[in-house]
Amino acid sequence: MGDRLENCCRCASNVCKSDLTFHLFGGQSFSHDAGSGPTELKISTECLVAVADRVSSLLVVGSVLLTLCRTDASWSLTLYQIQRTSQSDPCDLLASFSLPLVSPKVQSDTESRCVLVCVYPGDLMPASSPPHPPRSHYPLQPLLFRRLFGAEAALSKSPVVLCGLPDGRLSFLPLRIPGSRLRILHSLEQSVVFVGASAVMETDAGCAGCLIALGKQGRAVLIRAGRAGLEGGGGTRFTLGCVPGPVECACMDQSRVYYSTGSDLLMVDLWDGSSGTAGRQGDKEDEASRSNPAAFLTPISLNVSGVVALHQPARSSAGEVQLLSLSVRGRLQSIRLPVRTQEDSLSKGPSSQVGRSVGDILSAIGDICERASVLKTIIRSKNQILKQLNQVVNISFLLSNRSESDLKPVRCRGSVRWSRLLQRDSLNLTCVLENLSPFVLERGWTLSVTVLPLSCPLEAGGEASSVNYSFPFSGLGPGESVEVSLPVAAAGDASFPVTVTCSLLFSLWRFLGQEEATAPLDLQSACFSLPLNTLTVDWLHALRLSDPPAPARSSSSPADLLQGFISSRQLRCRGGQASRPEEYSARVRVSSELLRDALGLAPGSPRVSLLEWLLSEGCGGVKMERKGIKTDGSSSVICGSAPDNATVKLTVNVEEKTKPLVIVEVQVKSSSVAAVCGLHHAVLRRIQVHTLSLQVILKFLLKIYQSEFSRTCQVWEASSVGVSSGQTPPLLLRVYQQLRDGPLLIL
Amino acid sequence: MIQSTSLLESWTQENNQLASGCKLQDGQNEPNREHNLFRQRRWSSDFHRLLRKIQGIPPHLDRAQLELSVVYNTCVCFTAQSQFDEAELLLTQTAQRLLQIAGDDPGTSDPSVLWRTALKSVTGTALHRRVLSLLCLQWGVWLAKSRLTAVQDFQEEVSLLEAQSGAVWNDCRAETKEKISNIPILVLDPRRLVDLLKICTAIVQGAERLTEGWSVLSALQAASASPAPRALIAYTHLLSGSCLAHMNRPQMALQCYRKALETDPRCVCALYQSALIYSRLENSQAEIQALRILHSMLLLPSTTEPAMAADRLLSPSLFLCSQSLSSLLSVPSALSVLHSLALKCVIHSRVSEGVECYLDLLAALQSEDQHGVHAAVSTLPKLPRLYLEAGAALLMARRPADCMALCDEVIGSTLDLLPEKVLLEDPVARRVAGSGEVTEEAENGLVRLLWTAAAYLLQGHCYSQLKDWKQAVTHYTRCINLLVKVHYKDTGFSLQMPCADKDAEQGVDLCVLQRLKGLSLAGRGISFAQIDRLREALRDLQLSRQAHPEGVSARRWYGEVLWRLDRKQEAAACWEQTWSNPIPSLSEALPVYAQELQSGPLLDSAELRQKLQELGPT
Repeated sequence: MGDRLENCCRCASNVCKSDLTFHLFGGQSFSHDAGSGPTELKISTECLVAVADRVSSLLVVGSVLLTLCRTDASWSLTLYQIQRTSQSDPCDLLASFSLPLVSPKVQSDTESRCVLVCVYPGDLMPASSPPHPPRSHYPLQPLLFRRLFGAEAALSKSPVVLCGLPDGRLSFLPLRIPGSRLRILHSLEQSVVFVGASAVMETDAGCAGCLIALGKQGRAVLIRAGRAGLEGGGGTRFTLGCVPGPVECACMDQSRVYYSTGSDLLMVDLWDGSSGTAGRQGDKEDEASRSNPAAFLTPISLNVSGVVALHQPARSSAGEVQLLSLSVRGRLQSIRLPVRTQEDSLSKGPSSQVGRSVGDILSAIGDICERASVLKTIIRSKNQILKQLNQVVNISFLLSNRSESDLKPVRCRGSVRWSRLLQRDSLNLTCVLENLSPFVLERGWTLSVTVLPLSCPLEAGGEASSVNYSFPFSGLGPGESVEVSLPVAAAGDASFPVTVTCSLLFSLWRFLGQEEATAPLDLQSACFSLPLNTLTVDWLHALRLSDPPAPARSSSSPADLLQGFISSRQLRCRGGQASRPEEYSARVRVSSELLRDALGLAPGSPRVSLLEWLLSEGCGGVKMERKGIKTDGSSSVICGSAPDNATVKLTVNVEEKTKPLVIVEVQVKSSSVAAVCGLHHAVLRRIQVHTLSLQVILKFLLKIYQSEFSRTCQVWEASSVGVSSGQTPPLLLRVYQQLRDGPLLIL
Repeated sequence: MIQSTSLLESWTQENNQLASGCKLQDGQNEPNREHNLFRQRRWSSDFHRLLRKIQGIPPHLDRAQLELSVVYNTCVCFTAQSQFDEAELLLTQTAQRLLQIAGDDPGTSDPSVLWRTALKSVTGTALHRRVLSLLCLQWGVWLAKSRLTAVQDFQEEVSLLEAQSGAVWNDCRAETKEKISNIPILVLDPRRLVDLLKICTAIVQGAERLTEGWSVLSALQAASASPAPRALIAYTHLLSGSCLAHMNRPQMALQCYRKALETDPRCVCALYQSALIYSRLENSQAEIQALRILHSMLLLPSTTEPAMAADRLLSPSLFLCSQSLSSLLSVPSALSVLHSLALKCVIHSRVSEGVECYLDLLAALQSEDQHGVHAAVSTLPKLPRLYLEAGAALLMARRPADCMALCDEVIGSTLDLLPEKVLLEDPVARRVAGSGEVTEEAENGLVRLLWTAAAYLLQGHCYSQLKDWKQAVTHYTRCINLLVKVHYKDTGFSLQMPCADKDAEQGVDLCVLQRLKGLSLAGRGISFAQIDRLREALRDLQLSRQAHPEGVSARRWYGEVLWRLDRKQEAAACWEQTWSNPIPSLSEALPVYAQELQSGPLLDSAELRQKLQELGPT
């Protein structure tokens, strides 16, 4: 048996493409020796003899290896020469035969195996065969052989391969006849599970006089040679029968078929049943069995459950039959059948065994169920991940493929508001992330907001230091938005304008699940960011409005009073220069037509509307939330305080004496140079953004302004901390004043 | 943007690694076919995976260069594995993606329109040569699928390809030298592909036109001068030869075949075609010689291997799969050649050689070694017939014991399959009814019956050769008993149907039946004459003359028996007739065993003439 098993393994491995590991049970120790586990055999690629897809069965006949594969439209039987020229070469392909599928629908179950057996005329033993014919090789009565396969096959003494296909067809192929092809012998109309041959008479001397094929649902066909010359040429007799199914696997010895239904192992005595005695092929019995096929095969239960594979039975000299079987749970069993009489067969049936086997089956079902559910979960989660990755890739493409000027489908807009918390005022930016794309931003995305002041106090080293905020959010569907809030500046902080850069971050970490511990990715490659738009918060955004100008400060709030007190004290500390705060001012002159045309402001009261526009218009993607600008109907002056707490006055004047050109002048006045510069810049920027027809010169001037502004700022800061007030270059201030005094008219 | 560029680079690197690995492994080509197949599968799946990654994002001009290169590599791998449908699908998709970049939409999936538009859209850009090389692959796919009209439609573009190939790809090479890392490597130089496709197209077109009956000599001769693998050049010579043979110039055709063989000694089909021409010229000695060489060449292992490994990755045989070409190139299996060699030898009176060939053939069929048995289409006759032919040859070589052993085997395997009787319907009626199963079964019965009868006939001949007349009579009688089991259904159906009137296998079978009848009756008559049972002899010979009027020896012996019965005038008249037609030589139209083998006792014609002269004066 060992030889045969090895042989089997060799063949199986040769056909398979990948390395296989086989479990070979050690010798006879399968009964109760728990200590000896299965031995693993590594089979190297050198053993590869043939490459084939979807091999469902194989057989070795002499020096030829046959494989039966299912292709898309047909079954194909392929022949290989086993004798190889060198060890590393696969076998030579000899020939391939195909049989078209009946219809794809019928053969939907690809699971079912095919049966391949070889029969040869009984008077001929294959030259290289051992004294006992190998499994699946049956010597056949020469007469039956001739009748079934014709004169040519008999003349060439060729072995004939029988294929039982899952569609129920039983086809045959004579191996040594030139031009032979696969032909149909019979159709069982149900999946063929077993094909075997049995000796009818003792006189046959080892040749089988009867071929038997078993179908999955228990249909059986017996093929025998009829009386010579009765029917023209043919003279073979096909007897149909039925056994209780389903047939999982089967084997047969001289005259008995053993088969397993999964829940029981059954034995059918072909020639000893009620319908007739062995050997006699009388017409009467045949007619009887043909008319009532169910009667002629009466199986006897052996009460062994869960058998999925059977090895050829061995018969001892005393008449005992030993069967080797493999159970569905992987148990190798040896079943010994005593010499039995008719009574034995009825009385036997240990119920405990049945109970045990039911238990086995139930637990096996449980195991499989558990495994299946685990696998299902894994597959589901992988699908989920793939779906999410797809969304991520879509979004990445959507965002990465556009230039800065385009409106991105995912973007941020913001609004600022002063709020007071724990007695401290701070400017809060509320950033709204809108998803206008058709894709979902899944969990795992993070909104990253970087706040970068344009300039910063000198003590920070002159370098602008950015502050980073990240907001992970969970899922943002198309059309949805999410709102986050962050502080931009505290009161007293004058480092405006502030650039707020928004970007989306995505980390691949969450897809990695368990494996992150074992194979850590470096952070760079596991995380990527997609830039969104950039917001700018400038001085005008940060302007806090107070009541319309009153001749005297009348702040009622104690906090304001306190603040005023503290700041006055600070001012006093700075030295004499600060005791008399200087008024700085800057002007922007715009023609009213421009305002009307480009900004769409009502011509009636340009002053008020211009102020409203300046204070409420969202510029740089940021809106200022104000509860209504407190201006009188006629007043064109707004007072407020800049972030550095300096009071600021914005005045709008209309000069009509230069008619027909009506000039609107916006004047910024404050005691703080920084506030004046910042507001001036902010006003200019707003007008610049909205009037696209500005001239080059204006841009140039703006540039000068900006550079001067930043320089002046620095200078001012330097002077304001009181390092050396005397060293303030008066020249610069003068230049700045001059620049402010004769502003150009923006047309 | 940052991600995208780094991906581009990593993809390029991946492609280059794959392609250089591919080239490297291809260089150390193993002789082993299966391993190659295995490796090619891996390459193509690797390339395809990479391509799917690249095509997962919308097409873009920046990535087009890489994408087209990977498409090229993938398609080359697909083509190498004969996965033409996959390759074509990929090519069409790529053309569509190209057009997407360009913003064109031709609104059709017709490949030729697509390619034209795609080519136009990239004219003058760096992508042009990549698109051309893809078009070249499309050409290969069309060729492999024998869509020659499509290839002809693109003749213009193809010629553009040829014209530009030198300049453009040289340019390409220079560029490659410049910066190796950034340029995606191709697994196969497109120029080599163009060269290969050119000659393959010439060959396939030649074969197609040849079968349509055109003269393609000039095109083929032009192709034979181009640089290409020897095997392909040999094909062009071979096709020229076939063309000349069609034009009824056998000698020139033979010259061409010789040239083909000189170019590539493995071009066995040239040898086979020469044998056919010799057969047409009735130069039997040369034909036998050619068949003999052909057989020994077919037995060499090298000829069964695909002969063309000139270009390792893409073998020319991929593109030479047109129906008409393969029919022109087909060579029967070694066993069929051996059989026709044996038959020719026997027919052209080289009996001993023929016997050797037959014995070799039977040994090959019986052996375990299965090489050559399973040819796709076998022209070998059925086994029993082979046995019987071999038996007849043995008989002619005066080896009756061997012949009898063979016949015993035939009888043993067929005897218990014989029907009780065979009923033949009127062939006209049957033709109307179509071929039902019953008729087929009856025919099978008839064929088996004829085999067995012929075996008995040969055994009878053997015994008469051994001068064991009683045994001979027994076996001839068995043969006759079998033959009379065949009945005719229709009364109007003539038994004497001449052989010329047959139109199918059944006709041949009937003719064989009549001849076997005639021969067996004649044989029994002669045997009776030898043991001096002249009455029975006369009856059998008379019946034999009815069954088979052309039988010469039957008529001579009829005369002889008449002479012995002292009916000299009748005998003389009978003999006079036989002088006019001598014993016909063996022909190929009928099985050898159904013809007169001159194995039995012969009558000396000189003696007959002398007897006639004796009679004459009286």
